[in-house]
Amino acid sequence: MDLLNHVIQGFGVALSFQNLLYCLIGCMVGTLIGVLPGIGPVATIAMLLPLTFKLPPTSALIMLAGIYYGASYGGSTTAILVNLPGEASSVVTTLDGYKMAQKGRAGAALSISAVGSFFAGTFGTVLIVLFAPMLTAMAQKFGPAEYCSLMALGLVAAVVLASGSVIKAIAMVFLGLLIGLIGTDVNTGAQRYTFNIPELSDGIDFAPIAMGLFGIAEIIGNLEKRVGGRHVVAAKISSLWPTREEARLAAPAIVRGTTLGSLLGVLPGGGPTLAAFSSYTLEKKLSKTPQEFGKGAVQGVAAPEAANNAAAQTSFIPMLTLGIPSNAVMALMVGAMIIQGIQPGPEVMTKKPDLFWGMIASMWIGNAMLVIINLPLIGMWVRLLTVPYRFLYPAILLFCCIGAYSLQNSDFHVMMVAIFGVIGYIFLKLGCEGAPFLLGLVLGPQMEEYFRRAMLLSRGDATVFLTRPISAGLLIVTALLLLLMVLPNFRKKREEAFHEEG
Amino acid sequence: MNRLFSKDLWSGLMFAGFGVLALVMGSKLAIGTAIRMGPGYVPRMLSYILIGLGLAIVARSLISPGETIERLRWKPVTMITIGVVVFALLFERAGLAPALVCLIFLAALGGQEFKLVETILACIVLTALCVVIFKLGLSMNISIIRGVW
Repeated sequence: MDLLNHVIQGFGVALSFQNLLYCLIGCMVGTLIGVLPGIGPVATIAMLLPLTFKLPPTSALIMLAGIYYGASYGGSTTAILVNLPGEASSVVTTLDGYKMAQKGRAGAALSISAVGSFFAGTFGTVLIVLFAPMLTAMAQKFGPAEYCSLMALGLVAAVVLASGSVIKAIAMVFLGLLIGLIGTDVNTGAQRYTFNIPELSDGIDFAPIAMGLFGIAEIIGNLEKRVGGRHVVAAKISSLWPTREEARLAAPAIVRGTTLGSLLGVLPGGGPTLAAFSSYTLEKKLSKTPQEFGKGAVQGVAAPEAANNAAAQTSFIPMLTLGIPSNAVMALMVGAMIIQGIQPGPEVMTKKPDLFWGMIASMWIGNAMLVIINLPLIGMWVRLLTVPYRFLYPAILLFCCIGAYSLQNSDFHVMMVAIFGVIGYIFLKLGCEGAPFLLGLVLGPQMEEYFRRAMLLSRGDATVFLTRPISAGLLIVTALLLLLMVLPNFRKKREEAFHEEG
Repeated sequence: MNRLFSKDLWSGLMFAGFGVLALVMGSKLAIGTAIRMGPGYVPRMLSYILIGLGLAIVARSLISPGETIERLRWKPVTMITIGVVVFALLFERAGLAPALVCLIFLAALGGQEFKLVETILACIVLTALCVVIFKLGLSMNISIIRGVW
C-alpha cells in the first residue's frame, strides 16, 4: 500500500515536536481571529507571512493552514453564543445557532458544531489523501498550453461562484494580472512598470497588497460604519451533551453538509462561505419541518458548520496538486510556497513528499486540536469578544506595519500597505471585490510565462489552445461557465445562494 | 444625480483608467512577435482587455445605474493612511517606539471616540508587547528608540 506508507510518513513529519507546536500556534491564532470580528484569515496570514520566512517550509505551511481552518472553527463559537459571526462562513450559523442558545441549548449547539466540524475535517482530509495523487498524475501530463487554460478556468470559475457583479470581478482579475507583471521580465530582463524602484524589480510583493486590501481597507470601512458599543451578553452554557432527539437530527445533516461542502470546496471560488450558505438552503428544502429553520433547528447548525469545515479542507486540493488557488487564502499559500522556494504544482508531491503528506496529516491533527481548544476553553474565547473594537484596530494596524517592514527590512513595503489601503478603500466604495484581484495578482506572472511558452512552442499559432484536447476542454468549460452567467435563471439562483435570509 | 454617483460608472472608469495608464507607462516596452514575445506583448494585451471591460461597465451603468456610492467619510481614511505613512517614515529613522506612538495616536484620532488615557495605555501595552515578541522573542534587528536601544 503505497498510499498507507505516504500517510504514515506524513504523520511522522506532522507529529514531530516542532510541527505539532506550529500546528497548535496556527490553530490558536486561527480560533482567535475567528472569534474576533473585523479581522479575517487573509489579512492575518499576510501579516504573519514574514515571520514564517525563518521557519522550515513544512512548519510554515502547517501553521498558515492552521490559521485558515482554525478561523472557521472560531467563527462558529461567537455565532452561536452571541449572534456575532466572526467570519463570513459562519453567518448562517447565527440564524439557528443563536436561537438554540436562547432556548438554553447553547452547549448542545456548540458540541454539535464541533463534532460536525471534526467529522467534516476528517472526511475532507481523507478526500485529499485519495484524490491528490490522481490529480497530480493527471497534471503531470500538462504542457504550457494546458496550464494556461487551466488557470483561465480557475480564474473564471472563482469569479462566477463568488458573490457580486461578474463583469466587475473579471475586470478585477485582469487588473490583478496586470499589476502582477510589475517587475523584471524573466525572458528579456526588461524592467516593467518599476519606476526605477529597486524593491519593485524582483516583482511586486503580494503580502503588503493583501494587508492593504484586506486589513487596512477593512479597518477604514469598519470605522466608517459607526458601530456603537457592543453589548455582549453571552448565553449560559449548561450541558454540552445534545439530547437523543438532537443527535438523531444532527447526524444525517452533518453527513449531507460534509458531502456538499467537500464538493464546493474543490471548485475554484467555492470555499467555506458558499458551502455554508448552500448546505443551509439544502437542509431547509429537505426538512419536513422547514418552519423550524431560523427558530433553532438543529440541522441549521450541524449542516453549515460541517460544510464550511469540509470546504476549508478540500479547497487545499487544487492548490496542492495543480498550484491553482481557489480563493484568496489559497492564493497567499501559493505565494508562501514561492517565497520558500517551492514551485506549487504537481511536482510538490513527488519532490517534496515530506511537505505534502506532512501538511495533510497535520490538518487532521489540527482538527482534533481544535475540538479540544474550542470546547473546554470556550469561556476564554467569549471573554475576548468583550474587547472593544477601538482597542483592536490600532493593534491590527501596528502588526500589519511591522509585518510589512520585516518582509525585506524596508520601509518601502510599509508605504505599499498605505497605498493599497487607500486603493482597497476605493474598491470597497465602488463595490469591487478584492479576492479576484489577489488571485490574478498571484497567478499573473506564471500565466504569462505559460502563455509565452505555449506560443513559442506553437510558433505563434494561438489556435494551440484549442487544438490540444485537454486545453480545449478546459477552455470550453470556461466558456460555458461564462455563458451560464448570462442566463437569467442561473443568475437568480446565484443571488439566492448568497442572500439566503439576509 | 443617481447616474452620476453610480458605483458601476466609477468602477468602469477606474478600470479603463488603469488600462490607459498601463498603456502609456508601458509604451516603451518592446512588443515583439507572437512567437518571440517582447516584454510589452502581454501587458498591452491585458491593458486593451481592461480598457474594453471598463468601457463595457461604463456603458452598462448608463443603461441601469445600479447602486450609488455611499457617502465618503474622510476622517478614518485620511487618519489611518497618514498613520501608516508616518510609521513608515519614522520606523528606521527614529525607532519602533516613536513610530508606534504616532501610529496609535493617529489611528485613534481616526476612530469615532478618542480617549486620551486609553490611547496612552494602548501605546504602553503595545510597545511592551512588540519588545517581547519581536525584539526578545524573534530577535529581529530593530531598534526601539534609535541610538538608545
